[in-house]
Amino acid sequence: MEARFHDGRTTASRPVKVWVEDEVLVFHADGEQRWPLETVRVEMVDDRVRVARAGDDPARLSIALSDWRDLTEHAVRHHRAVRRRELWLVGALATSAAVIAGVVFVGIPAASGPLARATPPDLERKIGRNLGGQVSLAFPACKGVAGQAALHGLGQRLGKTSGTPFDIRVRAVHAPMVNAFALPGGTIMVTDQLIALAADPAELSAVIAHEAAHVEKRHVMQAVWRSFGFGVLLDAVVGGGTGAGQQAVLLLGSSTNLRYGRASEAEADAAGQDLLTEQGLSSQGMAPFFQRLVNTSESKNAGAVKELISDHPDSQRRAAVSRARAKPGATAFTPTEWVAIKATCKDGYDPLKRVRSLF
Amino acid sequence: MSDAMPAAAGGEGPVVLSQRGQLKSFAWLSLRNGLLNLITLTLYRFWGKTEVRRRLWATTYLNDEAFEYTGRGVELFVGFLLALVVIALPFLCLVFGAQFLGPLFTLVVILPFYFFLFFIVGLGRFTAFRYLATRSSWRGVRFNIRGSARSFGLAWLGYMLLSAITLGWFWPAAERRLSGRLWGGLSFGDRDFEFRIDEARREKIYGAYTVGWIFGIIGYVVFIVVITGAMAPQLKAGGSPTPTLAEMEVIYAAAFLLALAYSVVFSPFHAAILRSVVSGIGFGDVRFKLRVKWFDMAGLTLSNIFFLTITLGLLMPFVEARTRKFLIGRLETSGGADLNAIGQAQGLPPRFGEGIADAFGIATI
Repeated sequence: MEARFHDGRTTASRPVKVWVEDEVLVFHADGEQRWPLETVRVEMVDDRVRVARAGDDPARLSIALSDWRDLTEHAVRHHRAVRRRELWLVGALATSAAVIAGVVFVGIPAASGPLARATPPDLERKIGRNLGGQVSLAFPACKGVAGQAALHGLGQRLGKTSGTPFDIRVRAVHAPMVNAFALPGGTIMVTDQLIALAADPAELSAVIAHEAAHVEKRHVMQAVWRSFGFGVLLDAVVGGGTGAGQQAVLLLGSSTNLRYGRASEAEADAAGQDLLTEQGLSSQGMAPFFQRLVNTSESKNAGAVKELISDHPDSQRRAAVSRARAKPGATAFTPTEWVAIKATCKDGYDPLKRVRSLF
Repeated sequence: MSDAMPAAAGGEGPVVLSQRGQLKSFAWLSLRNGLLNLITLTLYRFWGKTEVRRRLWATTYLNDEAFEYTGRGVELFVGFLLALVVIALPFLCLVFGAQFLGPLFTLVVILPFYFFLFFIVGLGRFTAFRYLATRSSWRGVRFNIRGSARSFGLAWLGYMLLSAITLGWFWPAAERRLSGRLWGGLSFGDRDFEFRIDEARREKIYGAYTVGWIFGIIGYVVFIVVITGAMAPQLKAGGSPTPTLAEMEVIYAAAFLLALAYSVVFSPFHAAILRSVVSGIGFGDVRFKLRVKWFDMAGLTLSNIFFLTITLGLLMPFVEARTRKFLIGRLETSGGADLNAIGQAQGLPPRFGEGIADAFGIATI
């Protein structure tokens, strides 16, 4: 059969005659060349095949596809061998992917609880202090001293009841949202908009008790571990890539994270109400507050959709559950304290001025 | 049987580049790669990319012979793992560690690291280009690239800073110089390519860039007006500036339209810079010209965006193939070369591929 030979030393193209002898491809070019069929690599290029020896040898034979098929049965066998290798590769990769998925979606969330409990409180306090410093830059504390003291007092009482190793410090802050959140190490931030939305002491104390329960159960540290695990492992797999497939995997990771986040929220609702009851305080404020959240303009659009993208279970559903668990009790704040709390963020804060002062 | 016949007669001849084969096969390959990526949590992507390149090279012809891509998926995979250990891991440790330092220390540690990242991106571009060159061959003879990745990385960092200081006006010159460094350093076997900056400068690029720059700013202002307009009623009512779902839809739609508008207003520049770089490239007596007009370029970019958007990026290999067909179909050569007498490249190719570029998502093909 006619073929073209490129010896890999220059680009010269030489016509050669090739034949097969005992499963060995034979041709003459600078002496006799013998390429065992078992060791050659074949690549289809249009109506020809390019034959190479195994390894890095740059020499190539170019043979018409029809000639190659006539020349040897090997073409078919080679094709099968390539397919088999590919199947092995895909099988091995799919298995690795399944193991990684197991670790990411089951292992890490399951381990995050024990890991959080095993984290030395000192380390958690340190992380919390650093995080707190950064958060305070964006959300400065409100200036009303008496209001802050009243909030702090409730935090201290709840901390003692829960037996948490952390000193619970509640702080009212300026922020453009209705929210309250706990940082690692026991700091709880309540936004000015949330304080404005709360109708009575029972509602506000329910929110603070909910956050104190997060601290008690070490949910914050749990979330830190979970995010760390998801982030490191998924990034290692997909390489922070920008492809659609890579983004889909990352999205899957964050939705799993949110699912576990929602379980923590439900647990904190119940534990928060228990903390209030143990203190002899009313836990009846939680349900009306969630109802109020539902009624605010922000939550009006599609609760179900909102739940998918938020780590808080749908407020309406939470309201119903906490209504069932609620117990009557004393008011968390005296009327004087309540007035001070309501006024604590009315300190003439101007977000625009604040932004300008940063530059 | 007879011994080898003498080598084909030498002498200079024309150099013709062409793209053969059907785009349809790349659509099937896209689907196959997409499915395999799905079941392997995208771990297959290194092998998938290799297969795309192998087919692209095998359908690109120099005269009567197709190019060959000799890279392997496992090389890309190992390169990726190395980049992960050498760059991503220290970066993560640094960012995590900075949490325990004061804000000033954080600034002192993190800021230089961001500069270092720009250097690394440049380095990654060079090493990716080198990997592609050394894995490309024609008649068994490899391509290679001269020059150091480190100096390219430094040049990249410097040009980026200059571009930022000049509000982007240095960028066209920077892009031409950087491309010149890559193409001018390329060699095929024992013959060097060259890059003549004076030839490249004959193709004007700043007029086209001005069009993109001015319309780019106008587009941005319109975008800001649209999203502020969408959120105005809520802001006036004293509500929270957190956008509602409907407002988010408006913002996303506006951002998508802005991206489309950018690809159109910058297509004169993209066409001009390609024409300029290509006309600077020489190989012996062979010179190159790219006949690409701005509306061709806009058409290509918009249709590529369309294919990628409706398939969520799945058709990437197909888009790469049609882009290559588009460019090679418009490439003209003049002058001749003796393509039978080029010797093999000296030195061994690098062992692993483009991990750094891959880690930053900048490897285009």
